[in-house]
Amino acid sequence: MRKDRTEMSEDDDRSPPLDLRGADIAESSSKTRNCSGVTGPVAGPGPSSMEFQAPYPDQVLENVLENVLQFLSTRRDRNAASLVCKSWCRVEALTRSELFIGNCYSVSPRRATARFARVQAVAIKGRPRFADFNLMPLDWGAHFAPWVNAMAAAYPWLEKVYLKRMSVSDDDLTLLAESFPSFKELVLVCCDGFGTSGLAVIASKCRHLRVLDLIESEVSDDDVDWIACFPESETSCLESLIFDCVECPINFEALERLVVRSPSLKKLRLNRVVSIGQLYRLMVRAPQLTHIGTGSFRAPESVAQGDPEPDYTAAFAACKSLVCLSGFREILADYLPVIHPVCANLTSLNFSYANVDAEQLKSVILHCHKLQTFWVLDSICDEGLQAVAATCKDLHELRVFPIDAREDSEGPVSEVGLQAISEGCRKLQSILYFCQHMTNAAVIAMSNNCPDLEVFRLCIMGRHRPDHVTGAPMDEGFGAIVRNCKKLTRLAISGLLTDRAFSYIGKYGKLVRTLSVAFAGDSDMGLKYVLEGCPRLQKLEIRDSPFGDSALLSGLHHYYNMRFLWMSSCRLSPQGCQEIARALPRLVVEVFGGENGELHGDETVDILYMYRSLEGPREDAPGFVTILQ
Amino acid sequence: MSSSKSNKIVKLESSDNKTFEVEEAVAVQSETLKNMVDDGCANDTIPLPNVNGKILEMVLGWCKKHVDETVTGDELNKYEADFLDLDQADLYGLLMAANFLNVKGLLDRVLQRVADMIKGKKPEEIRRIFNIKNDFTPEEEEEIRLENAWAFD
Repeated sequence: MRKDRTEMSEDDDRSPPLDLRGADIAESSSKTRNCSGVTGPVAGPGPSSMEFQAPYPDQVLENVLENVLQFLSTRRDRNAASLVCKSWCRVEALTRSELFIGNCYSVSPRRATARFARVQAVAIKGRPRFADFNLMPLDWGAHFAPWVNAMAAAYPWLEKVYLKRMSVSDDDLTLLAESFPSFKELVLVCCDGFGTSGLAVIASKCRHLRVLDLIESEVSDDDVDWIACFPESETSCLESLIFDCVECPINFEALERLVVRSPSLKKLRLNRVVSIGQLYRLMVRAPQLTHIGTGSFRAPESVAQGDPEPDYTAAFAACKSLVCLSGFREILADYLPVIHPVCANLTSLNFSYANVDAEQLKSVILHCHKLQTFWVLDSICDEGLQAVAATCKDLHELRVFPIDAREDSEGPVSEVGLQAISEGCRKLQSILYFCQHMTNAAVIAMSNNCPDLEVFRLCIMGRHRPDHVTGAPMDEGFGAIVRNCKKLTRLAISGLLTDRAFSYIGKYGKLVRTLSVAFAGDSDMGLKYVLEGCPRLQKLEIRDSPFGDSALLSGLHHYYNMRFLWMSSCRLSPQGCQEIARALPRLVVEVFGGENGELHGDETVDILYMYRSLEGPREDAPGFVTILQ
Repeated sequence: MSSSKSNKIVKLESSDNKTFEVEEAVAVQSETLKNMVDDGCANDTIPLPNVNGKILEMVLGWCKKHVDETVTGDELNKYEADFLDLDQADLYGLLMAANFLNVKGLLDRVLQRVADMIKGKKPEEIRRIFNIKNDFTPEEEEEIRLENAWAFD
């Protein structure tokens, strides 16, 4: 991991991070050097120029500090250390190796690279989450290009890049592959803008690539065989290859060869063009896998009935280390039993693409005693959830997605399933639950039964749906959640909700950092309660709720503490948003509204997206965005 | 270092002029002293102007413990754990000494201990623990605070 010193000039003050043992030993003063040739010990790699200087006490301190700070890895600790005094700030900046940018527009690449000189890993987040639901126009921004350009110059030893909701082009990927000879890990989550030609460059040029994870990203089909671009002649150090979101066909033979020459491969998630027969071929080559995304999990059309099929069960049984299973993109449920041998060891199972019913699920889930994370479609119905509750006592995270997300569909899961889960899975920490109907009673039950809940996201898909047994608003249910779940940091609310629900959130939701609101509330008071009551609120996304300028203004004291506020289809006027912009000059207030992005006085603002920034208004805003000042 | 080596004595003098005599095997637990011994520079008393007597005694105690073959693994673990249970003022001096003398194992532990004292603390608390003066102007401090909170958190 540490770059060989001989590759860098000694004048280069952007030398790689010092090895822990390289605490430059303070040269004792000349009194001790009675013998010739004694230069004083240096215990490890370090700038050789130090050997010939008498140290200043400050330098000793800074060397020691550098080594102490190596032990600090969290952002919070590093940020605190940087504020102690000037020398600590300087040393901390030199030793921070992981850089996290929560909002790519909050700071410029130039500023970030000027402060932190020796970064090896970067994480950058771009668009707000509501962009996933087509609420944000395309080409809004969050471009990786300025970042990769700045880093190419500043961080030649960069090893890891993690991007979420950014626009990444093939040119960006090419620059990345060409600029960072030590590059090891690329993780792209919910990104777009690139295609298989960009992947081809990464595969062929990043000789030390260990991780290539494409998660929920849009990858255009450039008709390029990127899998074949991994160097054929050598053993590959690949540990993780995730491409289940890539919609285009792949060269399976090349993939098979790649898997064969990747003895360190632990995570492999295939896309839906891979058949179960092909999965088999890969699994028998790589029984060491810990994470498998199965691809389609069906035989291709060309396989005739009655053709002898491989022993899939044996292949699964051979994967003794398998703990995480996903995929099942076009599952033929007949094949489901073949995974039985691994169920007892699974800690994570993702059935969110698998249209399985309750019976089919039961046959699998009854073996899954160790399951901690379970994602599933509501096709399993309440009955399926009851089976989960009966077996998965260690469940930490549950996500139930709708097969049919329309407002008026039947809804196979309900309060019955939620209640069962709350009773069976007491260690639950995170839940995302889509349904058509819910009751306060079930939500209250969960608040009492699952005290460890940190994330509670309930999506009652019908708009303004009340408790379907009592007819009451869902206020009391959500009130119980914020009151009883003392660790709650993330909340998504839905259903028929009055301002009372918001008053509960403001009163009890003191740790809430992320709040998501859709089709809820009666009046401005709702938003006021939250803005005035939740000191830790960082991310607030609101759609289709009756909050207007007065509510917006009630948050002036808090907006500089937040990462962002998103409000769409609410009751904001251009004047209201303008007032915010005037009052808080370091907030970037973006509105998208009207034909050409121009706002007229009598219009309501379609979308308001605002965030604090050290840099002022961004220069890459597209035409439809107006930045108010 | 085998104990069958000659019982050469190494003499050390602390910053406050206290002398210590230890066996070579003990002294060379310190990489710094080991290099001096290997280079043939350890014949006279070695002055250590960066380390006071109290701390030097502690460090030498550590070194002695680590060459003592009668000490069991468990005893050593307990010794190491108790060793770092000291005053913050001493901890700081020990940090400097361990750094300078580069005693294997000790430096890591002291660094870790110091880091543990920093973890979870606010800047003003860290300053108090290590008696560090805040040399930022209010404007400078605010700008860094904002930068940290807005950009890098």
